Amino acid sequence: MQRSRLVPLQQSRRHFLAGVGGLGLTGLLGASAWSGTEDSPVVFPFVNGGRNLVKTFPQKGAMVLQRTRPPLLETPFEVFDQGIFTPNDRFYVRWHLANIPTVVDPATFRLKIRGHVRQTISFTLDDLVRKFKPIEIAAVNQCSGNSRGFFTPRVAGGQWANGAMGNALWRGVSLKALLDRAGVKTGALQVRFNGLDTGILPQTPDFMKSLDVDHSLDGEVMVAYAMNGKPLPLLNGYPLRLVVPGWYATYWVKMLDDIEVLEKPDDNFWMSRAYLIPDTPLADVVPGQQGVKMIPINRMPPRSFFTNVQDGARFEVGEKRLVRGIAFGGDAGLAKVLFSADGGSRWQEARLGPDHGRYSFRQWNVDFRLSSADPQKLMVKAFNTAGASQPDRANWNGSGFMRNVIESISVRSV
Amino acid sequence: MRKKSQFRGLVFVTSTVVILVLVGGVAWWSCAKAGSPSGKKDESSRQWAIVSVELPASDENFPPGAGANIATSQCLICHSAGMVLRQPPLTKEEWRAEIMKMRTAYGAPIPDDQVDRLSEYLKGINGRQ
Repeated sequence: MQRSRLVPLQQSRRHFLAGVGGLGLTGLLGASAWSGTEDSPVVFPFVNGGRNLVKTFPQKGAMVLQRTRPPLLETPFEVFDQGIFTPNDRFYVRWHLANIPTVVDPATFRLKIRGHVRQTISFTLDDLVRKFKPIEIAAVNQCSGNSRGFFTPRVAGGQWANGAMGNALWRGVSLKALLDRAGVKTGALQVRFNGLDTGILPQTPDFMKSLDVDHSLDGEVMVAYAMNGKPLPLLNGYPLRLVVPGWYATYWVKMLDDIEVLEKPDDNFWMSRAYLIPDTPLADVVPGQQGVKMIPINRMPPRSFFTNVQDGARFEVGEKRLVRGIAFGGDAGLAKVLFSADGGSRWQEARLGPDHGRYSFRQWNVDFRLSSADPQKLMVKAFNTAGASQPDRANWNGSGFMRNVIESISVRSV
Repeated sequence: MRKKSQFRGLVFVTSTVVILVLVGGVAWWSCAKAGSPSGKKDESSRQWAIVSVELPASDENFPPGAGANIATSQCLICHSAGMVLRQPPLTKEEWRAEIMKMRTAYGAPIPDDQVDRLSEYLKGINGRQ
């Protein structure tokens, strides 16, 4: 019924651009704060938010440059209006350590499973493709520090706006199938994942992440060899990447080549000292608060965004406009998306686009009419099927993790 | 002992991509159904490609000033200058905390007697009181 109002994904970009031509660019996008062109830098709305768009990275189109080495590349936000699957060449990039192999030879590449297992196994890429039933899952990959630049007070770290996330259809082998082949022995506690990247200095801790055994065997955690029907770009982890649906991207180890089943909890640096969050709802604390128990970051809460209107946009009073965006449920399916045109006093349920599964982006839209010449505050809020939602006030912690405050933008008359 | 050591020492040079398709001609991926992320493919025809890329070098430098030489010789060992230049303005103590984190967590070989000068320099180029 109402789904006919949604823009078909394959056509959304053309449709969008055609619409822009007919309606006047400023009405929809206003001053281009987060959608800079190749000629003009991106300016994120926080202090020291100037960024360049670059096309200099392999297998990548125009990306927002956060850091050249090791690469931190943000997806320009307008990409999220063009469809709910983020194209591989626009998918954000985040590396911790600068020794990144620039050549991967499938003839010699092996994925090893070892540790507390009945037999150590080594798989070729062909083994994974030919000897195991492929599974597919659409899932959002979001950096723990996505949106860190908006933290108030500010915190050090990668100063992302909202584009350190992406949604892809991942194809690969379930981790359970691989672990079953190796035979996890009684007493196993965690499974640790390591990739080909290493630090420049020998004393820099190698990047490794771990999941509990039960989580590793849930049938959803996947070793992916394809992303949106294509091999992964090298900077997104070619040839293999762990996919942990519903969990933050820090666990989605890239260039995965080593899986170790552990008998005791993993105390490596990246589990015991980095990527820790306060053990409070939404990892929220008061700046300066001391003595809070810290735990490894884990599941994602829901989020929602406007994608075709941004802060400061101008509309004709009374003119009907389609306002749309994307939402995701985090570690549970998206239940509903609410939209408010009056700063949160009244909320209406948005129409939802096609459902690609509980871990995917989903498009939402509403019809909106600017009611007067006065500025109006538009807000969007997602709920997941586990009952979680987005807070009115921004959650805060000293690492800049897990931001999921309700997004608000102000629009006014032309 | 892991084979990753063979990748150490590769030089990062400027831009350009080279995808070498050396395995049996065409990579199996090219057979994937265009336009559909879920296109079903003939599994038996799959072959893998050697992927070889070059990562761009950073063209950003630390601005001149007392201590710039320390930033250049120390910070750039592990990351490009942009990581520092794009931080929010930090106090000298906040910069010092970042430096100490780089030393203790990641093993940055910044000598004790350079920490204060480096903190002062970073506050000078991107700081607040």
